[in-house]
Amino acid sequence: MATYARSAPVPLAARREEALRPDIFLIVPMLVLMGLGVVMVYSASAPRLEAQGIDPAFELKRQILFVVLGVIVFLAASMVGPRMLHQLAPIAYVGTLLLLVAVEFVGAIRNRSQRWLDLGVFQLQPSELAKIAVILGLAALLAQAVDKLSWLFVIRAVVLVGIPATMVFLQPDLGTMLVFGFLGLIMLYAAGASWRQIAALTLITVFATAALFQFEVIQNYQLERITAFLDPEADAAAAGYNVLQSRIAIGAGGMFGTGLFEGTQTNLTFVPEQSTDFIFTAVGEQLGFIGGALVLVLFAVIVWRLLMTAALAQEPFQRLVAVGVAAVIVFHVFVNVGMTLQIMPVTGLPLPFVSHGGTAMIAMAAGLGITHGIYMRRSPLPGQGSPRSD
Amino acid sequence: MTPGVRLAALGIVFSALFVILGLRLWTLQLTDVDGFRDQAARQQIDIDQTPAPRGDIVDRNGVVLAGTRPSLTLIVDRQLVTVEEERVLTQSLSAFLGVPSQDLLDRFEEEGSASRFDLKHDLTEDEAVFLVEHRNEFPGVIVESVPVRTYPLGDVAAQVVGYIGLPTADDLQREGVQAVDRIGRNGVELEYDDQLRGVPGTIKYQVDAKRHVIGLLGEEAPIPGSTIQLTLDSDLQSFVERSLSEGLVLARADSPSGRDCVPSPEDPTCPVRAVAVVQNVKDGSVLAMASVPGYDPAIFVDGLSEDEWAALSSGSVLTNFAIQGRYAPASTFKSVAYVMALEETVFPRNLSLTSEDAVAYHTDGEDDYECDGRLEFFNREGSPQFYTDWKPEGHGPIDIHDALHQSCDLYFWELALHVWQQSGTRGDSFDEDMLQQWAREFGFGSSSGIDLPNEFRGLIGDREWFTAQQNAATGRVRAEGPWSGGDLLNMVIGQGEVAVTPLQLANAYSAMLNGGTVWRPRVVDAVIDANGDVIQEIFPEALNSVDLDPRTVAALRADMRLVVNSGAGTARTAFVEFGDNLNSVGGKTGTAEIIKSSDPDKVVDTAWFVGATPMDDPEYVVTVVIERGGSGGRIAAPVARQILQYLVNGPDAVTPLAPGAASD
Repeated sequence: MATYARSAPVPLAARREEALRPDIFLIVPMLVLMGLGVVMVYSASAPRLEAQGIDPAFELKRQILFVVLGVIVFLAASMVGPRMLHQLAPIAYVGTLLLLVAVEFVGAIRNRSQRWLDLGVFQLQPSELAKIAVILGLAALLAQAVDKLSWLFVIRAVVLVGIPATMVFLQPDLGTMLVFGFLGLIMLYAAGASWRQIAALTLITVFATAALFQFEVIQNYQLERITAFLDPEADAAAAGYNVLQSRIAIGAGGMFGTGLFEGTQTNLTFVPEQSTDFIFTAVGEQLGFIGGALVLVLFAVIVWRLLMTAALAQEPFQRLVAVGVAAVIVFHVFVNVGMTLQIMPVTGLPLPFVSHGGTAMIAMAAGLGITHGIYMRRSPLPGQGSPRSD
Repeated sequence: MTPGVRLAALGIVFSALFVILGLRLWTLQLTDVDGFRDQAARQQIDIDQTPAPRGDIVDRNGVVLAGTRPSLTLIVDRQLVTVEEERVLTQSLSAFLGVPSQDLLDRFEEEGSASRFDLKHDLTEDEAVFLVEHRNEFPGVIVESVPVRTYPLGDVAAQVVGYIGLPTADDLQREGVQAVDRIGRNGVELEYDDQLRGVPGTIKYQVDAKRHVIGLLGEEAPIPGSTIQLTLDSDLQSFVERSLSEGLVLARADSPSGRDCVPSPEDPTCPVRAVAVVQNVKDGSVLAMASVPGYDPAIFVDGLSEDEWAALSSGSVLTNFAIQGRYAPASTFKSVAYVMALEETVFPRNLSLTSEDAVAYHTDGEDDYECDGRLEFFNREGSPQFYTDWKPEGHGPIDIHDALHQSCDLYFWELALHVWQQSGTRGDSFDEDMLQQWAREFGFGSSSGIDLPNEFRGLIGDREWFTAQQNAATGRVRAEGPWSGGDLLNMVIGQGEVAVTPLQLANAYSAMLNGGTVWRPRVVDAVIDANGDVIQEIFPEALNSVDLDPRTVAALRADMRLVVNSGAGTARTAFVEFGDNLNSVGGKTGTAEIIKSSDPDKVVDTAWFVGATPMDDPEYVVTVVIERGGSGGRIAAPVARQILQYLVNGPDAVTPLAPGAASD
């Protein structure tokens, strides 16, 4: 299993002291994105709230609270040792399944979807937590058979991912279901699945999707939303409206943007779901290409650090967790930003750390925190011995 | 395959995804910024129009006939209300205005779904405050001060001033017409609409996605319309209208129908209408133009109901009969034949011609023609025809001057017979249409070119016209037989195939009395912009110059004077009470037969009088018509006398109306 040439063992105390140094390349981009999110959520929500006669800082205050919670969760997750994490994985997976079942029965309905558990002060969205739980569960499964994956293992993996995926699909939450599919494929690949296995899974996914359309399991409005991005002008008032207005807003941003709080589109409520799913539109309009590109670079840095963590991880479980978190973040960024740029369909995935929302913030912070914990306990890079060994 | 290779592959795939996003962001944001900003800006701007105050219409002395005042107005903007809100709105408006809500729904329907319209003008301040304070109960209601048309003098000069209305779909196609405008529908309001209208202002609002107004982006004040200064004198105009009303009462009292009659198809002898024009002989400008009964243009400001409209149109009160009326000019037309006779040396058949001047200007001092009241002549088939004068016993021995002021029909029939029988024998210029040609020279038979809409062009019949009518079977002429001498005999005394407007008659007399210049008549003197600068001055325009012998003009002036002050003048009794300066006035009577009957209670005549003053060098011509009024000398002449008294001796010198002696 040891893939890397190891240097001489380092005394445990010294290693811990040295390895627990935080990764500023992960933490700083995350904090910058969170801070930017706070500002943009305010910019995107205040005019609408004011028009509704609500405290314009309502969403701002909530978002600040979410960020604080997120940072706490991040720090806490960083503290959890990888081995304990490995032991917790099945519990997290099963626990999340129970929460998803609970949503089926007592969940609150918003926007035609039943995704939320009403906890009084807070509406919990179990499908967000499920993303992390599925990563843990799948990593724990695949870690048993890394690089010698049998077809049986592949099927077990499909079942493990398929159960929560089906449940979120029934909410219905198409976007999250696709997240599961994507992270499943990526993690199987990282676990050493053969090309044939990957191809088979891809085919199964395509056929399953075709079947969903064929038997009209996918609702009409979902289909419209999905296809609207191909030709938003065709239905500019309804399905294509978001896409069209979003494209106008970002296009109007130019190189330097219209200025913070000066977005005519995003400050005048032309773009729906402005502070949540379409938050990148506000960035693009008000901060221009500079702001939009900065967001992409920050995410790229985070993903780079996650893959680096995977490369340095001491155990396959840890490596797979890091890959899974990276896959989730890449998928969210690509689908969310791509949606505002009219190259991806509207599926309702938030932009991690930036979009207004509590559960997603906590889930993503937890995912990043776990990986950060793995990073801090990584194997040293080849040729990079402990200071003591010199 | 090692995990490192697979991770590197993932790194490449993930990087590719970020590169795709970055490139897409680049192309979207940096290739067409202006296009997207423009697109964004357009959907964020809402433009409202504010109506421009309409220009005033003032008389020659600046007295306002049509003005504008601010009025607190309840405006409904249906763009601001949802269908559900509209139900609430119509209910609360119904309670507020005391109007059934169904009426309001009908009105909403009529105005259209995205319309903005004035629902009620002249709110009191309390009402306005109430509406603003109860904004929530009146969604889509705006209270604004809006310029509203006023007509301070009411019905004075109503048909000249005209009226306004909302623009129709066709009007909106015209350049510069906006939905918030009111546009001219008749009279000067219509003819000078472009100058009166002004340019509406605009208010640009920034709006959000739900069209809620967020802020003001800019405001452009409306440009008020220009003021139209008329040539009318409102004092004279009021006086003329009052005099016509009294004349109408006089005519009714004198008619078989009696003083309290009401004109209707069942009562054809009841005098229906009185019309007058006072024109400046020397430049064609109109000082007064009236058609009684009239109307108050203010009734059009808020729009008319169908019943109101029907009532107005059945009485034809909207019609300016001074330019739209079709009247047989009767004996007033004799002056045209008179001028023709003097200029062309036309004379009765049995007159011995010593010299052209002797006949024409009566230089030998002898009466030449024996008028015995009965004319006998043979038509081309050789059968005898008899015509009887309005005065059957005749006028005795007379010359052309006596013939005019006594209005002897026989003499003018003789002139027509002369033209008819001699046509073709005295050279090419002497043809059967000589009378019509002279009439056309003075503007009869074609529109006068006055700056008012819907003018009737009049009719001067001739063989060509008559044949065309027969061929087209219009029913306006007899079906059998050609244009005949009898038709010309009718025409020479202003009956038959001749129709004129009171304005045409005034304008022709102006030309005959001023030495031959036919002016384009006009009611507008100048267009003055909102700063008080004259931007357009309307100058007198000579349409034709008829070459008249000065002796002809002098003779006409002298003979018209005799009409009112010689013993045998047809209007002598009507002018007995004139007072000072009787010598300075003159005129010509006319009585047009509309319905002939041996029963005097069934006869219907149109009464005419054309007056002028001062006769040495005329400045004013006055035309008076009283439809179904009876004898011109008896009914029309006294009204004209009052107007001339006003012009010559002033308002205080006007004496009450009394019928004159019946005459032609």
